[in-house]
Amino acid sequence: MLATVRDLVIYNPEFRIGAILVGLVAGMAALSLASPYAPLDTFVVAPDLPPSLAHPFGTTSRGQDVFWQLTFAIRNTLTFGIVVALLSRLLSLAIGLLAGYKGGWVDRVLMAINDTFIAIPLFPILVLFYFVLRDAMSWAALALIMALLGWAYDARLIRALALSLKTREFTYTGVFSGMTTRELLVREHLPYVMPIVFATTMNNMNWSIGLEVTLSVLGFTDINSPTVGGMIYWANQHTALVAGVWWWIAFPVILVVALFIGLFLLAVSMNEHIDPRSRLRRMGAEGGA
Amino acid sequence: MSATPAADGERKRATAGAPRAPVLSVDDLKAYYRTRHFGIEREVRAVDGVSFEVRDNEIYGLAGESSSGKSTLLKAIAAAMRPPLHVVGGTVRMRFLEGAKSLYAASSAELAQLRWRKLSYIMQGSMSALNPVRRVRRSFEDFAARHLGGTGAAFEAKVVAHLGLVRLDKGVLDAYPHELSGGMRQRVTIALATICRPDLVIADEPTTALDVVVQKDVLDMIRDVQRQVGSSLLLVTHDLGVHAYLTDRLAIMYGGRLVEEAPTETLFRSPLHPYAKHLIASLPRIGEAAPKVTLPGGPPNLAEPPPGCRFHPRCPLAMERCRRDTPTLTTVAPQHRVACFAVGGQA
Repeated sequence: MLATVRDLVIYNPEFRIGAILVGLVAGMAALSLASPYAPLDTFVVAPDLPPSLAHPFGTTSRGQDVFWQLTFAIRNTLTFGIVVALLSRLLSLAIGLLAGYKGGWVDRVLMAINDTFIAIPLFPILVLFYFVLRDAMSWAALALIMALLGWAYDARLIRALALSLKTREFTYTGVFSGMTTRELLVREHLPYVMPIVFATTMNNMNWSIGLEVTLSVLGFTDINSPTVGGMIYWANQHTALVAGVWWWIAFPVILVVALFIGLFLLAVSMNEHIDPRSRLRRMGAEGGA
Repeated sequence: MSATPAADGERKRATAGAPRAPVLSVDDLKAYYRTRHFGIEREVRAVDGVSFEVRDNEIYGLAGESSSGKSTLLKAIAAAMRPPLHVVGGTVRMRFLEGAKSLYAASSAELAQLRWRKLSYIMQGSMSALNPVRRVRRSFEDFAARHLGGTGAAFEAKVVAHLGLVRLDKGVLDAYPHELSGGMRQRVTIALATICRPDLVIADEPTTALDVVVQKDVLDMIRDVQRQVGSSLLLVTHDLGVHAYLTDRLAIMYGGRLVEEAPTETLFRSPLHPYAKHLIASLPRIGEAAPKVTLPGGPPNLAEPPPGCRFHPRCPLAMERCRRDTPTLTTVAPQHRVACFAVGGQA
């Protein structure tokens, strides 16, 4: 694990840049713990001040400091992405490994459900959920809904791997030596698919954060708890761009774009690292230079 | 290497005493593949009435060309059938199975008890025999720990002692399979299969993926371990050279049936069955100038096997009777059984 990270840092500039960007965003989120203002308080500073030494990212029309407000927003957005990714990884791993290994009717039933989730349009469903749940639509509820909708693609990917693992000699040996299905999947197959799960986790976080920002900007989420999309929503409500308060929109957008690019680069570099051919080519080229 | 000298001595005394029941006895085993596509049923008789015994402390070889039913026979003996493969008749008895009942009458709990501990198998020496993302130590823990007992240091001591038998040091435990050479990997699989000192070890093409130099090394190793552990070994390969080198007795399989069985040396010196004769004659010999004679035709289609003896369409000695009746393995000399009417077999 440590050796993998070391190799990635040494040989993979994409990983370096991605790690720095994600590290910056995570550092920003950590700063929220040191914030002088409570996240939901308004009119604690003078409104509409441009960036200055006292307020590095300026202040909003609601009298909030953009920098400190953003630390809360990005913390919530990041946590949201991580929670969705973890929950949906559990689902896709369990379903993918089981469907691929068991085959037969188990596979057919699970994949029928899986393909349904791939086929249904997500965005209208999420909007529908908002209109049905209204005030009950909290941060946690949205995370749960997204996790339940976001496992299908990766379950198919993992199932494809499990299909090939099922016919390997070591699977037969495991069955023959008396391992239970659960032991076999957890001890023999899970370690094999983990690298791919890592790579897809980054993509899944991008996907869930992107949808969350979209919904928040449109006001289809709990707009009171600060998120990056929620900040943009409030800025739009106060016609920030028309009023010339550009920093209210610019800094949240820059931060979330940095997070997107960082996660994307991490996913790309891990994908490349998983494939031994591209990894060795890169390491060889680096060594020869 | 000297982990359990007492147990070894016990085994030797046991084998030296009164003759015991054979380790494995297969009687009239029939295993068919039954498929059904769009209402059309097909039945492939891959193993059709096979009987043989494997005795104490012997290496029993099973030879035959591709599609002769060797692998199917092994699956049936390990009770590892999956649809569409079904055992439709016959029995497989193992001495270590309680009450001398057939393997197919045993419950899955009983099977789980006996696999690996009493009956184990050596995997093919291919890249996928060991899990590429698990260290060798983990493979031992996953496959053998539940049967061998002992935890932590005690288990590890047993594993290290056993690895000594195949001349591997304990460093391999921390290696991943791709860090080992092909020969080392195969030695690890041999160690894995024999660590519980099973009564019967099945080896399916154990050296096929290895080059001849490593192959000889591995074969020697298999014999050494077999002698030390005192297991019986059922070795299946199409490579007659391996059989000549390693096995005590040899059976030739053709079209899902055994056609001849004899001590290996006898079978190579004086084969009786026309198929066995051609098979042995096909082996290259140094200094031989005469061109090899090829038999016309190919192996029979086991979905629609020829009636009577399955070899008769290609047999130079075929008689009218061979088209009608099926010859069974008949003892024609001590320890020598053959299934052919032309050389003394019976129906």
